[in-house]
Amino acid sequence: MPTNTKIPLAVILGLVLAIALDTIVQISWKFAVTSLPENAPVAVMGMGMLSDLFFYLVLLAFVAQYFNWMRVLARADLSFAQPITALSYITVLALSRLALHEKVSLSKILGIALIMLGVFLISQTPHRTIRTNLDP
Amino acid sequence: MAAVLVESFAQVSLKIGAAGPRILSSPLRQLANRYRITAIAASWKGLGIFLYGMQIVLWTLVLHRLEVSVAYPMDSLCFVGVALLSMLLLGEVVDRQRWLGVFCILSGTVLVAL
Repeated sequence: MPTNTKIPLAVILGLVLAIALDTIVQISWKFAVTSLPENAPVAVMGMGMLSDLFFYLVLLAFVAQYFNWMRVLARADLSFAQPITALSYITVLALSRLALHEKVSLSKILGIALIMLGVFLISQTPHRTIRTNLDP
Repeated sequence: MAAVLVESFAQVSLKIGAAGPRILSSPLRQLANRYRITAIAASWKGLGIFLYGMQIVLWTLVLHRLEVSVAYPMDSLCFVGVALLSMLLLGEVVDRQRWLGVFCILSGTVLVAL
């Protein structure tokens, strides 16, 4: 089914939100895990997690992520929307570098450029090629 | 590899949950309509969530055994898996440009993880 090339605002906003939530999940997940004692028994690890604020942030972000993602998928191809979330690799890298004040290597810059190129190429393809529930 | 497969299938199940089982390509749709449980979107949502939970456990195991610089590019093989499954199971049109984009992203994540 041919679709119009204009991407609906709901899809764009949904993708932006998905990338933001993905970034929050990955960074707070890292904080939650690194604050745990190493080589501790599973029970101790579990208790440690439950008392960690970041763990609840991860859970909250997961729930929000689910509802947002379902909205996106109702409006756009999976093979369109999912690769675009690869932009979160870049946001996570940027934020963690910002926190650690490290320099970014040339290969990483090249990698970022390739991811951006890939996302650009995909964003130029029709966002929906099959019918969904939202169609009449 | 199992983690990649599970994640790809999780994404497809969520997509079917979001857009309804009628997006399945025709032989599969007939199969799904035969059983009440696979004919409703809610069970696909449930399956997607279950597979996602499984994926988190698998991924934690993987990160214990592999270097991040190996594990992350492996994870981005999901983009290939999802593109393949969307094409084969859902009938989405993955044209040459979309494939090119997927492979740019894949090589980009390899470089970022180095």
